[in-house]
Amino acid sequence: MSEIKELQAVRKVCDQLKETLACDFVGLAIQNQAGPDVRWHYASGNLNDKYKRITVRFGKGVAGKIISSGTPMMITHFPQGIVGKVTDYPIMLAEKLVSTYAVPLFFNAVPKGVLLVGKREKYIFSAQEQEKVFKSSLELEQMLKEHIL
Amino acid sequence: MDLLKTKQQISSYIIDSQEEEIKRISLELHEGVGQNLYSILTGLQFVESSTAEPHMKNYLREMSLLIKKTIQEIRLLSVELHPPALTTLGLLPAMKSYINCYTSTFGIIVEIESEGPERLIPEKNSIAVFRVCQEALVNIAKYADTSHVKMNFIWTENELTITIHDFGKGFQPEEQNDSMRLSGLAAMKERMLLIGGQCRISSKLGEGTSIEISLPLK
Repeated sequence: MSEIKELQAVRKVCDQLKETLACDFVGLAIQNQAGPDVRWHYASGNLNDKYKRITVRFGKGVAGKIISSGTPMMITHFPQGIVGKVTDYPIMLAEKLVSTYAVPLFFNAVPKGVLLVGKREKYIFSAQEQEKVFKSSLELEQMLKEHIL
Repeated sequence: MDLLKTKQQISSYIIDSQEEEIKRISLELHEGVGQNLYSILTGLQFVESSTAEPHMKNYLREMSLLIKKTIQEIRLLSVELHPPALTTLGLLPAMKSYINCYTSTFGIIVEIESEGPERLIPEKNSIAVFRVCQEALVNIAKYADTSHVKMNFIWTENELTITIHDFGKGFQPEEQNDSMRLSGLAAMKERMLLIGGQCRISSKLGEGTSIEISLPLK
């Protein structure tokens, strides 16, 4: 699983999405092959390497909630209006993100990954932008389905 | 003077009661809910192994994975509420265990060093020191903008001193207007005072924040 970040096609989709949406950060979290842990495997526009050490908590934060619910999520002005504590959103803190939109990645009809785009300013992602993130997530699902059990 | 002492006794009583309740919930999650989920997981794995139909096997595997995630979350929640190592192994092992969880939650590396032989501390005091360290580390994750923290434990016959330095952006306490943050810092100091210890906080813009916690051991 650690070689996901080495896949050129995956990097290209994430980097292009960052450019198209003019956002500051794009991250890809995927469930490990062994065990239930979900980790950030690739990031573009990151300020540091904290994302590499973060394990997504099931049901917590942006990625954790998406994996447990299987539905997209948007935060427009972090930490205003969030559910839970600021510390439940480690990727927002680590990357100083203020707004984010994230969608689930499904494998065998089960949410096992997250594609997240973010900005370091308050922002509302439009329906068109949301659609672009969704399309990228479908591309990533196709590319990664052989890597996921 | 008497009024101050009474207030301190009341604060201690409230904190001790809260800690007792937190410990009870933590134990209940770990020993009750966690154990029941584990039994369900074992049952599901048994059903999976005795099913030949691939579709059903796959479904049961996904269900097992979901239960595993839930067990892991319950265990983390329970340890977050009250670290069992604090009672069984002591302050330093409990802190090391918390730091593992902290790094995998926030991605911040904490280098921990200890000088001198670890001494036995009454549970009430060790939980207070643990909570102050926990608050300091959470503040670092929230505000310091750093990837690296250094934590030193110095054990002498008479005193335990813990220093936490974050190498982050630092702050000027007198210019700080985040009331939550200021209350948090004041609560750390107060909590140490209640067990006869001290907590000093110093910070320099661009150089980071240092917290020194000391507790008399005699």
